Amino acid sequence: MADTKQTQICPVKETRQRLFSMLEKGGLPVARFKRWGEEIIILLDDIINGRAGHGHMETIESLARRITDQGADNGCSQWGKEALDAISIHRELFESHIRTRNCPVTDCVTLTPAPCQMACPAGIDVPGYVTLVGLGRDDEAVEIIRRDNPFPWVCGLVCTNPCEFMCVRGRMDKPISIKYLKAFAAERAISQGRYQNPPKAPEKGQKICIIGAGPAGLTAAYYLALKGYGVTILESLPMAGGMMMVGIPRYRLPREVIDREVAMMEELGVEFRFSTRLGADVTIEGLRKERFNAFLLAIGAHTSYKMAVPREEDFPQVVDAIHFLRSVARGDRRAPGRRIAVVGGGNVAMDAARTSIRLGCEEVTVVYRRTHTEMPANRDEVEQAEEEGVRFLFLTAPVEVVGKDGKVTALKCIRTELSKPDESGRRRPVTVEGSEFLLDVDIVIPAIGQAVDTGCLDEISDLSWSRRKTITVKGATMESSVEGFFAAGDAVTGPATVVEAIGGGKRAAEAIDRYLSGIPQPELPPVPVRRTRLPVFEISASDKTNLARPDMPLLNRDRRRITFQQVELGFNESAAREEARRCLRCDICVRCGRCVDVCRNEMKIDALQLGYLSANGDQTTDLRITAERCILCGACAANCPTGAMRIEDRGDERILALCGTILNRMKVERCAVCGEFLGPARYHDFIRNNIIRIAQTSGDTPLCTRCARKRAAGKGSEAFPAGKNI
Amino acid sequence: MAFRRGQRVEIFKKSQDESWKEYMDRFVGLRGVVTDPDTEKNDPDALIEVSIDDKGTHRFPQDCLRPVQERP
Repeated sequence: MADTKQTQICPVKETRQRLFSMLEKGGLPVARFKRWGEEIIILLDDIINGRAGHGHMETIESLARRITDQGADNGCSQWGKEALDAISIHRELFESHIRTRNCPVTDCVTLTPAPCQMACPAGIDVPGYVTLVGLGRDDEAVEIIRRDNPFPWVCGLVCTNPCEFMCVRGRMDKPISIKYLKAFAAERAISQGRYQNPPKAPEKGQKICIIGAGPAGLTAAYYLALKGYGVTILESLPMAGGMMMVGIPRYRLPREVIDREVAMMEELGVEFRFSTRLGADVTIEGLRKERFNAFLLAIGAHTSYKMAVPREEDFPQVVDAIHFLRSVARGDRRAPGRRIAVVGGGNVAMDAARTSIRLGCEEVTVVYRRTHTEMPANRDEVEQAEEEGVRFLFLTAPVEVVGKDGKVTALKCIRTELSKPDESGRRRPVTVEGSEFLLDVDIVIPAIGQAVDTGCLDEISDLSWSRRKTITVKGATMESSVEGFFAAGDAVTGPATVVEAIGGGKRAAEAIDRYLSGIPQPELPPVPVRRTRLPVFEISASDKTNLARPDMPLLNRDRRRITFQQVELGFNESAAREEARRCLRCDICVRCGRCVDVCRNEMKIDALQLGYLSANGDQTTDLRITAERCILCGACAANCPTGAMRIEDRGDERILALCGTILNRMKVERCAVCGEFLGPARYHDFIRNNIIRIAQTSGDTPLCTRCARKRAAGKGSEAFPAGKNI
Repeated sequence: MAFRRGQRVEIFKKSQDESWKEYMDRFVGLRGVVTDPDTEKNDPDALIEVSIDDKGTHRFPQDCLRPVQERP
């Protein structure tokens, strides 16, 4: 293991640390001033984390001045003076952090998170927890994840993993299997009883009401409860989880996973009121009488779009996918019919089709109006549906539900073909005249999109809605148009991902806390926070290159067709630990390319073939080639701004490593006279070849500079060290 | 243009859509990857999720996005 080095200390960060330390040591003994001091620390954190707005400096100075002016008689003024002095000396730097959201001395590492962390809607410190999994410290990995996402296990199974699309390792071969490592760590930590809540702040005496126990509402509840707020969640269903519970089938996300993670929230004192519908069982007016200080609307998007074809509403055998999946999730495991048509090509359509297979339906056909290529569902979902026996009818659109005696007998369909691309490049499905046909089915399941049920919020007349019928909020803070009302999740974004809802819930929790504490709201969405800075794994260049992303083992196909058992079986321990070692540690190496530049253009050696440093991904990477060309001069390490590239002498070897990956190691020679360490022979050759034209060398004898000078002085001529016979 | 998951795109202009926020102005000219397109019906009016290089993941209206050449 090698430690990473810091370069310079940022005065902004140093000021924050100094003031916080003084605060911790009782520097503000009067409660009122202590509260102001804590507010200043929060605002300084905003600056360090790149979230500050124009009002931050003004507010900090105003609070510090009040502490200085009013605290003279009680020992508080020194703290305020320290803050004002630091701002006065480093004003430009403070303002630069706010304006550019960059730390000029690269010490505020939160301003340079890795691409995977930047991509995560919840902002999880991915390199941190991946490294911890590699070290076998699964419970610490989960602790790191839960600082930004209270659902590590859920997300380990159903996250859409945007992080993996941005993973720099993907430029070399395949991205790190980030999602499955998260599931592995969470499963391990829970199994071993080491999945625990962090300590809760003292009660604040203020209450928040959250409408909806889906991922957004539950996430907000978790972070607000940790901050010491009383949290009550109203949920129309008889259980928590929202779409995670009733929209995602159990073969992808077992109920126990959700129950376990929700139980952690109950442990924090979150109160749940199940089977309680806003607008029916309770009203906003009634809730206001309960003296809630703020509300979060997280009602999700549980209404389905219609197919808009004749007789769609005439038969009970036409069941929208959301309703169908919900009733199965709530325990109705009867086959809805023998032959099923699922209309749509998205993820919900795949869920409905695969669920129908598991319920024992004999023929399940997905009807989609475009081709396989245009299907919007995730590729894995489509492939698994195909494996399980789902049939697909492409270039087909429904035109009418056909039935007799109150029962569906067929779905009348028509063939379509794709038009030429229009101005926007889209190829629209156009019906082929006279190509109608009957698809014999007894159940039709439309799965063509969801919308927000706006009716339950009619009472809040000032609530602003978008033209897409979603709640309008400020993106950075999730504040709605009504004071004291915040919103998050699908109700804001429309049908989106679990991890986006989690990110929105977390933003809302922070904004509610600021709202109730009177702290200015940030103007920009949060920048993910670096939670840890861990040492690197030492690994050879060939191992780093040859380790391959493991395949996820799946339940056998027959069992997938008849049970709701989890399809993805999870990594075993060695697969997880090895996968973690493939990580390139972009939290340390910021891919500036200075190492490559200095090696190629200054030293003219060109030993670093690190194509992955380029975002275009158009150059190849070969970590092993360095050992063939590198002379271990150390120029790359000396020019590395973050300490990612390191060179060190260990025993009789000199080792060059990039984030722990050993790129080159060679024996070093010692001075023949004094025994001091010299560079390796290849380095000597390089020096000799460069100076041979201008001076004599010391011949065969390896000498250090001092000894070479002594010898040269004795001979009355200049000789350079480390030379060989010419 | 129907966007698909994993596709490289550029935010080539500001959108006039109401979902465009002021802070998004600084994203114009940047590139990223589509991480969650409309996974239900390829609706050209749907907001889709894009991870922008080093600038985080956001939902954008599709009229401000255009595909860029794929990585080899």
